[in-house]
Amino acid sequence: MGNVIAVISGKGGVGKTTTTANIGLGIALNNKRCVVVDFDIGQRNLDMILGLENRVVYDIVQVMDGEASLSQALIKSKMNDKLYFLAASQTKDKTALQSEKISKLIESLREDFDYIILDAPAGIESGYEHTIEFADAAIIVVNPEVSSIRDADRAIGILDSKSQKVKDGAEVAKYLIINRIDAKMVQSGEMLSSSDILDILGINLLGKVPEDKGIIDASNQGKPIILNPNSAAGQAYKRIASRLCGEDIDMPELETVQGGFLQKIKGIFK
Amino acid sequence: MRNKQYSVKVFETTLTDEDQFTSFFNTNYNLFKDYLIVIHGDISQKIQEYLQEKELRFVNNIILPKSQGRKAVEEEIAVQKEQQQQVENELLKLSDRLHNNLKVQDTLVRSGQELTIDGDLLLLNRVNSGATIIANGNLIVTQLVEGSIRCFGNFMMLKASPKANIVFHDVVVDNSLLKERLNRVELKNNEIRITPVLKETTWVM
Repeated sequence: MGNVIAVISGKGGVGKTTTTANIGLGIALNNKRCVVVDFDIGQRNLDMILGLENRVVYDIVQVMDGEASLSQALIKSKMNDKLYFLAASQTKDKTALQSEKISKLIESLREDFDYIILDAPAGIESGYEHTIEFADAAIIVVNPEVSSIRDADRAIGILDSKSQKVKDGAEVAKYLIINRIDAKMVQSGEMLSSSDILDILGINLLGKVPEDKGIIDASNQGKPIILNPNSAAGQAYKRIASRLCGEDIDMPELETVQGGFLQKIKGIFK
Repeated sequence: MRNKQYSVKVFETTLTDEDQFTSFFNTNYNLFKDYLIVIHGDISQKIQEYLQEKELRFVNNIILPKSQGRKAVEEEIAVQKEQQQQVENELLKLSDRLHNNLKVQDTLVRSGQELTIDGDLLLLNRVNSGATIIANGNLIVTQLVEGSIRCFGNFMMLKASPKANIVFHDVVVDNSLLKERLNRVELKNNEIRITPVLKETTWVM
């Protein structure tokens, strides 16, 4: 039985879709069967980031409505044959989603895959509620800034009240990814530190991802940054994916500036 | 004063047809001879003579005090019992609210959540930005507050919380007045007083 993980944030633009793509590929690199599902009906982006833009024929709404079979709509990744992708509809809107149909779709995905990663839309509207409804766990992506934290806090509150697992009396596992950390800005106090964020949200940390300019180019080219061995963000995503697969990996410190010679000397005398 | 109490059998009748009346008492004389006859309607000379002749005791045009039947009395007792039970239940609830009205919560209150408490609240976790707490009783929050707080109790205790929106009895509390690790805000003589709770507790030996 597969593990259903929803990637949520509340606020838009914090890197949900990038995180989904990289974690999905990272899990596949760990030799687990993984499917990433774009739940952002009407505003699909995940296909571009995975480089599968021109391969989309059928979408999730067509599968749910019975117009296409699941095997027809699932797209195998060019980069890894353990990774599959299910596209969102670009022409329909969020009202196309219905609880019974989503439940049926997720149950059939559970049979075929080890990990089912759902990319939630931004906001806390019905599209978001449908994404988290049948999830076993949620990954909350935040940026180290107050508005992102507050929106994530609200999204967690809804997750704790609306998900099917909570209604059944169980608890949804919640993991935090702090994305786009800029060490210099954290040290100067402009960005919130990880410990502050963890205090506010009160959930477990899954990983920290540093700000990386290479991500934009990686997204444009449809090659997730996790494939780039020289990228700090890519390595961070790799660690996160391995942690999700059950490996115990240390959390490297990303919030101190690893600077030049002078700072290293200062570090010695600290 | 000398009193005596009797239980007397009473036969109540209405006089309309005199012949019918006399024939009725002729046939049923043995049954009613010891009864007190209550007659409604005017009694003519003829009837009065007839009653005297038969030695029937009677009264004319009086309203009898009516006692209730057994069933009605039982019903009334049941209703009274029920009312008494209701009063007792309400008293019980009231005393429960007075004695057991402290709610303790250790989960954090997230943005968008609104907690409304009838009694007192002891909150052992954070109140995040965008969350609201309304306590009609006293309120103690041991962790940082960044959301809104409305308290209508006698006192509240809060950590220094520069980002919180605190309203105590419809009066906005100035955050800069909460300085210490724990501060007591209370209503005394219609005046809001804020006193820091000092870290060291001195015990009287």
